[in-house]
Amino acid sequence: MIAFWIAAAGLSVATAGLVLRGAARARPVDDAQARLEPHRRRLAEVERLAIDGLLAETELKAARAEAGRGLLAAADQTETWERDGAGPRKAVVIAVGAACVAAVGLYVTVGKPEMADQPYAKRVAAWKAADPATLEPAKIAAVLEGVAADRPTDPEPLVFLAKARAAAGDLPGAEAALRRAVRLAPKRGDLWSLLGETFVVEAKGQVGADAKLAFGEALKVAPNDIRAHYYLGRGRIADGDVAGGLADWRAVVSSLPANDPGRTALGQEIAQVEALGRLPSDQPAADANPQVQGMIVGMVEGLAARLAQSPDDPEGWVRLVRAYAVLGESAKRDAALASATARFKDQPKVLSALRQAADTPAQKTVQP
Amino acid sequence: MIVELGAFALILSLMLSVAQTGLSAVGGARRSPVLAGAGRGAAVATFVAVALAFAALIHAFVVSDFSVANVANNSHTAKPMLYKVAGAWGSHEGSMLLWCLVLTGYGAAMAFFGDSLPPRLRAYAIAIQGALGVLFLAYTVFASNPMERLLDPPVEGRSLNPLLQDPALAFHPPFLYAGYVGFSVVYSLSLAALIEGRIDAAWARWVRPWTLAAWSLLTVGITLGAFWAYYELGWGGWWFWDPVENASFMPWLIGAALLHSAIVTEKRGALPGWTAFLALAAFTFSMLGAFLVRSGVLTSVHAFAVDPTRGVLLLIMMGVAAGAGFLLFGLRAGSLNPGGQFRPVSRESAIVLNNILLSTATAVVLLGTLYPLIREAMDGEAVSVGAPFFNLTFVPLMILAFCVLPAGPLLAWKRGDAKGVARKLWTVLAAAAALGLIAYGIVQPRKALASGGLVVGFWLLGGALLEMGERLKLLRVPFAESARRARGLPRGAWGTTLAHAGLGVFVLGASFETAWRVEAAQALSLNDSHALGAYTLTLTDVGTVEGPNYLAERGIVKITDKAGREICHAEPERRFYPTGSQTTSEVAICPRVLDDIYVVLGERRAGEGGKPAWLVRAYVNPWVRLIFLGPLIMALGGAVSLSDRRVRLGVGRRAGEVVS
Repeated sequence: MIAFWIAAAGLSVATAGLVLRGAARARPVDDAQARLEPHRRRLAEVERLAIDGLLAETELKAARAEAGRGLLAAADQTETWERDGAGPRKAVVIAVGAACVAAVGLYVTVGKPEMADQPYAKRVAAWKAADPATLEPAKIAAVLEGVAADRPTDPEPLVFLAKARAAAGDLPGAEAALRRAVRLAPKRGDLWSLLGETFVVEAKGQVGADAKLAFGEALKVAPNDIRAHYYLGRGRIADGDVAGGLADWRAVVSSLPANDPGRTALGQEIAQVEALGRLPSDQPAADANPQVQGMIVGMVEGLAARLAQSPDDPEGWVRLVRAYAVLGESAKRDAALASATARFKDQPKVLSALRQAADTPAQKTVQP
Repeated sequence: MIVELGAFALILSLMLSVAQTGLSAVGGARRSPVLAGAGRGAAVATFVAVALAFAALIHAFVVSDFSVANVANNSHTAKPMLYKVAGAWGSHEGSMLLWCLVLTGYGAAMAFFGDSLPPRLRAYAIAIQGALGVLFLAYTVFASNPMERLLDPPVEGRSLNPLLQDPALAFHPPFLYAGYVGFSVVYSLSLAALIEGRIDAAWARWVRPWTLAAWSLLTVGITLGAFWAYYELGWGGWWFWDPVENASFMPWLIGAALLHSAIVTEKRGALPGWTAFLALAAFTFSMLGAFLVRSGVLTSVHAFAVDPTRGVLLLIMMGVAAGAGFLLFGLRAGSLNPGGQFRPVSRESAIVLNNILLSTATAVVLLGTLYPLIREAMDGEAVSVGAPFFNLTFVPLMILAFCVLPAGPLLAWKRGDAKGVARKLWTVLAAAAALGLIAYGIVQPRKALASGGLVVGFWLLGGALLEMGERLKLLRVPFAESARRARGLPRGAWGTTLAHAGLGVFVLGASFETAWRVEAAQALSLNDSHALGAYTLTLTDVGTVEGPNYLAERGIVKITDKAGREICHAEPERRFYPTGSQTTSEVAICPRVLDDIYVVLGERRAGEGGKPAWLVRAYVNPWVRLIFLGPLIMALGGAVSLSDRRVRLGVGRRAGEVVS
């Protein structure tokens, strides 16, 4: 902050210097030169055009008379500016001083001298050094972008990046990361099926053409990919081929190990489809990945616990209020807002940020 | 620290502009060299402070500092660097800071280059420029601060509107603002002269370079905007009579009228009041443009950073600045010397007619632009005013102006020889008519009105060339003599010829392209073809490409001529920007000397037999290049005139000359 005030003072002095320099260079002046010069130039120009043969004789006379009349009229209107006394010089110093003091005064009221610059690279470096458990998914994604850039031929960071982006609600970003991953490793069926699953989630549960293409690619290189078989079966049921889709799903069940919890879950889905003759609802199967959702809730509760121990962290409270608002936890949001408002009641900037955070609309979290 | 230093510099610039206003006004009133000199220094200091604030904002965009709300709302780490920088003026707040930068830049230029001005006039003009600075800087600091910080910055920015991520649009606003705000100097000089009660030939000479500079820059700005609309919005057109386009066109029209009327005042001392009025009107229309673009009162394809609340503040500012100017004009206009007399047939009369037509045309554009607002206020009905209205009102006025234009420069001052001018021009008229008739005969389908438009274009172009030929006595004296005369000719004369010829080039392009544009749209599956005039388009491939911050479907469209020869591969794209979930069309253009073959890729859909198909829209835009070339020639004419030593900035400054 000291460096800022030194720089601000330097800027004030430099600009004040420009004003004072203008005053110091001022001299008494007769404005005749300025008033008469255009008319003299006009006369000279008329003569030059005539010499160059670019002005006819009749035009020359008229132009010469016109310019001459202007010159005479201007000569009657000249005025002289005398040398100044000390008064104006004092006035200049007072005016420029007042301007600088007023600027500092206004800045102190509306500025944030204590707030440092936050270039993105510096923030990412700080997140990289932090405990990942304390970071929200978007920050983890930002760190992983750097890792992926450092390892341009390795698809693995891209997979993690896609998962982090998806957890942060950035599905198109997740899709982009997986597209790059499958370009790097086109023989990996799991990447293709992850990409297909992302398409399904983006399409709100519909198994569209892009998804079918991706699952098809997955099965070309990994014929036993369970995720691809599951979603392709789901797509067949949605398209009206219920029997075909159920056959796909039954094949998936039989391929799963006996102790795999997925057997039970898929068995229940098969029973529902058999009973209804269609998918149980339009809601996507992967509408909310409980695992990731649970991770986010866990992180928010971790933040709440940390603030309970170290409450003097305005940024943390703003983040907590926003997180509750995003999750749709209005009671917890209001409680956190009330605690923070009471704690920071003398800090209008924090209160304003808290109100903004509380107004954040709730979002439905979708995960691949 | 850099952001906060920028915030401080912005506030400091506001205070310095207050000092600039006070010191210069008192200095002028008391004939005090020290106070007026300090006012000039304050003008330069204000500019330095705003420039620092602007540099700090650009730095924040470059390093993606999302703790600055403006950066968080208008940038993204994945954005290419050019658009990160351009994002600085892509928002309401940033664009107002750019406006302030240009405004204070002109103030500093006036202080720096204004040695040829009488000291009192200069002091008053700098004071008024400072007052405008106070108005706009106060708005920027208190209502539209681009340095506003966020306590809890987001991880990523919201990005800039994808339509604005385009090279032409990155440079369009700086040129446009340099033009818009350039008229502020003319406004200040006009008000200063009205305060002094002295508007004469010398004043007109001081006003001309600033008008020329502002008008030329505005011409480039509008052309870049039209070019952007042409290839980015994907509708195949280049002018839509959209309110925001009109907002930039009105000051341009008034600026063109002012350029001509200032010549009459300079050469003959006539029309001083009218010239001063136009000077006030030009900047008023510039402010109206700033209001229309940002307030959201009118629906526009170009409007950005719309904010009705702040729009009201801008309206109040416009009311204050324009109201003060026109009030003073009303009080002083009666006492101005009417200046030199002239006959109905004279160069002055031709320029007066030009001014009447340009001003009426501006009034028509204003009416067409504001009519939806008026109608909605009166009976709540939402209406839009488009090309049919302007074609029936604006275009005839312009045709009339274009018919008179070539005669103007050939007429003598004070008393012209109508018959002599007619004798000189009849060959041009005959040649233009003949070319129009040839076009009518050979270009299919036959269109009489469009052929008439070509006659007007050839008439303007021929008139400009004839005027230059007359000055050089081309073909009437030996070539060496013509060359000698060409060397002696003032650059202003070359500038006039270029500007008038550029107008002719534009009219030719606009007439031809509008009348004979060929359009076709069809859903094509891979390897399907369809005809477009004399060409055949075949969609050979569609693939997915990944840009720095978008995903796109890119079509490969093979274009062949009647003989089956391949002309080019067009690669139109349909881009999806994940940040903001926006889709845009990236037009592919195959240039053909003066024509463009223009291809747009539409959405994917199910075609015949369930095969995927894409709607491919394509146009052949004949002579479209002339539409953009013409205005650039006009702007070049302005620049050449500006380099004329008679109007050059700072003319009259000599080594060792005293400076007050």
